[in-house]
Amino acid sequence: MRYEDMTEAIGNTPLVRIDPAVHGLRNIDLYAKMELLNPFGSLKDRAAWQMARPLLAGAAERGDTVVELSSGNTAKALAMIAGMHGLRFKSVTNRMKVPEVKDLLLLLGAEIDELPGQAECLDPSDTEDPLSRMHRTLTSNGSGYVHTDQYFNERNVEAHQHGTGPEIVKDLDGRAPDYFVACVGTAGSSTGVARALRQHDPDVRVIGLVAAKSDFIPGIRTIDEVHEVGLFEPGVYDAIETITADEAIDGLLTLVRRCGTPAGPTGGGAFHGAVRHLRTVDAGLTERRTAVFIVCDRVESYLSYLRERRPALFGRPPRRNDTRGLDEAEIAAAPTADVEEARRWPGLVVDLRSPYAFQALHIDGSINIVDELFAELLHGGLPFSRRQPVLLVCPVGEKSARYAALLTRMGHPSVRSLAGGIIAWRDAGARLVRD
Amino acid sequence: MPDSLPLLLTPRMEPITQSVLTEGALLRQLTDGLGSPLNVVLPEALDDNVEGFRAVYRHHRLRGQIYFAHKANRSSALLRHLAATDAGVDVASLGELQHALGSGFGPGRIMATGPKNREFLWLAARSGITVNADSLDELSELAALVAAGRLPRVRVMVRLAEFASRGVRMVSRRSRFGVPSGQLSEALDRVEKHADQLELTGVAYHLDTIGLAEKAIALESCLVALDECRRRDRAAWSIDIGGGFGVDYLADGQQWERYTSELAQAMLGRRAPLTWNEHGYGLRNEAGTLRGTLGLYPASRPDSGPGYLGRLLSATAPEQRRPLGTLLLDSMCDLDIEPGRALLDQCGLVLARVLEVREGADLLVRLDLNARDVSLEEHGVLMDPVVIPRDGNAVPETTEVYLLGNLCLESDLITRRKVVLPVRPRPGDLLAFVNTAGYFMDFSATRALHQPIGRKVALFRQGGSWSWCLDEHYWPVHESREAA
Ligand SMILES: Cc1ncc(COP(=O)(O)O)c(C=O)c1O
Ligand SMILES: Cc1ncc(COP(=O)(O)O)c(C=O)c1O
Repeated sequence: MRYEDMTEAIGNTPLVRIDPAVHGLRNIDLYAKMELLNPFGSLKDRAAWQMARPLLAGAAERGDTVVELSSGNTAKALAMIAGMHGLRFKSVTNRMKVPEVKDLLLLLGAEIDELPGQAECLDPSDTEDPLSRMHRTLTSNGSGYVHTDQYFNERNVEAHQHGTGPEIVKDLDGRAPDYFVACVGTAGSSTGVARALRQHDPDVRVIGLVAAKSDFIPGIRTIDEVHEVGLFEPGVYDAIETITADEAIDGLLTLVRRCGTPAGPTGGGAFHGAVRHLRTVDAGLTERRTAVFIVCDRVESYLSYLRERRPALFGRPPRRNDTRGLDEAEIAAAPTADVEEARRWPGLVVDLRSPYAFQALHIDGSINIVDELFAELLHGGLPFSRRQPVLLVCPVGEKSARYAALLTRMGHPSVRSLAGGIIAWRDAGARLVRD
Repeated sequence: MPDSLPLLLTPRMEPITQSVLTEGALLRQLTDGLGSPLNVVLPEALDDNVEGFRAVYRHHRLRGQIYFAHKANRSSALLRHLAATDAGVDVASLGELQHALGSGFGPGRIMATGPKNREFLWLAARSGITVNADSLDELSELAALVAAGRLPRVRVMVRLAEFASRGVRMVSRRSRFGVPSGQLSEALDRVEKHADQLELTGVAYHLDTIGLAEKAIALESCLVALDECRRRDRAAWSIDIGGGFGVDYLADGQQWERYTSELAQAMLGRRAPLTWNEHGYGLRNEAGTLRGTLGLYPASRPDSGPGYLGRLLSATAPEQRRPLGTLLLDSMCDLDIEPGRALLDQCGLVLARVLEVREGADLLVRLDLNARDVSLEEHGVLMDPVVIPRDGNAVPETTEVYLLGNLCLESDLITRRKVVLPVRPRPGDLLAFVNTAGYFMDFSATRALHQPIGRKVALFRQGGSWSWCLDEHYWPVHESREAA
């Protein structure tokens, strides 16, 4: 396949059957629409391209910046598209909670503006939230911005009404599925696909999935927030159901471990929500049915999200020479030196504090190895000769005591911890320098 | 799917508040004698709150002072009780400073914040407290007063504002206060110019936000500022991170979630209104889409007060990528805080008498206090009052009411929210608005219409039972009086 540019690779994603041994439904064929295979990484490539396309020429002429309220996938796609056309892109958000996505956007050259938290002391005369204020500046003429406005832009829906939806029908040999399940963010994909499917068969049942109220699943809305979305029409959905972050992660694990599908959390959520909903229907069926859910994007951007919620998935074997392996008695018995002794210390002085604090003020002649780095060195063995006396320095003498205990256990004969740390040193009036 | 269960917003009441509410006879006697509304403060509750913050300090091995932000309540009893602990006080006016000095705080435990007039600056300099300077000109004005009066050097901190973030740009609300952090070197020049009058002890910020990320940026910037002081051989050892630690007002977070969901449904016309004249608390219905933002204090905040401080100290500094608490310690830096609201958690309640219960389309309950006497609504805090029946035996009967105030103003509703009470109130009953010591008690009260401002009494435990005195008569010595 030969293309002129990457936007031509958007769409025409495969529809892939999920193995019945995995989903356990007896009378329903379950298919995943693999939107994760879009070139910029997600379903949102379609909407981004559809919304941006008519704005590009004018924006390039005026030198405008493309701007969108997006926490992830739309921003990624728009950043790429803007870059291809020599335009700048800015993402405004109050919900960018996934560090990988943030870093990726910066890498793509996007600017990110993060909106402030709520005021601690309420100002009742402040009736406009920062988001609406931002919205107004963006849409005023001559602002220097073109705003794609995904939560209200009908072209977001059209991208799926003319793309995603008809592709599903085509791949099912001209039939609409009986059930369609999708997570709701801007509602663009679910609304657009639903329209296309119902043109073929008005009886298609559409299930929209949102996050539970206090939960967070990156990319989609909670049951309350969905009402703030301009494109959201309750009538589109036969049911709106909630999924939890835990369920989304369970679904994700099934997809990545058993279905060869590196899906992100909303793909996992859609799978879980689909199976949960269909299981109740399955038992009473007498003929075969078809269901489709959407896998929106890929798992790689969500590693820290997963690590935070399921640390056990990333469990690593314990490392040798770790201070966590010390017992209280060993730490209490760690050899110490008081300020007087430390003033006359004949050997090496190692300061475990942060480099900034060290550079600002330290004990004359000391060297700085920040504790994290020191811990890393010790996993490998003793980093200095046994004949070299070592004095360890930290803020209050606690961390240094742990490391002194560990070094003692590792066989170092003359290591000491500065009792009371550098704060005691300062309080005793001993000299601190900066170089 | 409208929810038909009653939409309660039950306040979180710790044992001290619960214990006071069981004293129905005493509370009725007090309101009979002193009138409605009546403000009740509970100085003892301060001890647990100070200890809660101290525990976070200990956990992070940090030193520094807890300055109570006096503005949250004018009570003498609370201030004098606090003077008996190891906490300090943050004063924001001449009157507050006089009050603090007269309540037993030595100058080493008082910090003046906010913009100051000459008289305030003079008394601050004369009494030797620390001045947290709000602007460059304030530093000069203070120095001039010190020089003119040949006063000893005054300890100063510089309040910084407008902190810059790299990579992701953090948009913060504009503030009227403080020196833009970009002008730090001018501020330090100014202090050095007046080195005989001013002694720099550190830098400060106070951000009016619940956003942890903004505060993490500010705190890390203050560490950088302190480093700059050290580069100039100004040994400054403190960072004051202001207040804003928040309070968890509700007993059950689920109630808050349900209430706010249902409010949105009501605004969209999908259920019966929950508010007077369909007030939306900031939400509005535009063609079936919910617009605006909920202008309410997040009343359910399990991670508030000391817990919030703990989270900030454990948060990773955006640039140096090490926990902020660790960085403070690495830099040998003392941490000062100025909690107002959070130190007054559970420290008082407002009592009001029910004057009339009027039947109609809605049940209207008219109270002998107005919305400024208990300014929950003004501050966007929604929580239910507790009914204290006039004769001690209440008949449980879930009742939806609107609470009206005693001013003849259409807008004088204690809250525009329809309140669900577990018992039906009757004239002569008392309503207790609990946990209102921080900002909701005397901050906004006025004598409009010649309505009285509530008297204030302090309740304290003596010999196993509750005693009381007028707020101005409270001194933290009743225990020893009993022992004598
Ligand atoms: C990861 C992810 N899943 C699902 C969605 C939902 O798609 P839509 O916005 O079309 O409702 C989004 C949208 O931003 C998303 O980023
Ligand atoms: C400078 C300063 N410090 C402390 C506070 C107290 O804030 P809070 O009561 O939210 O802790 C305030 C409140 O306005 C303030 O302006």
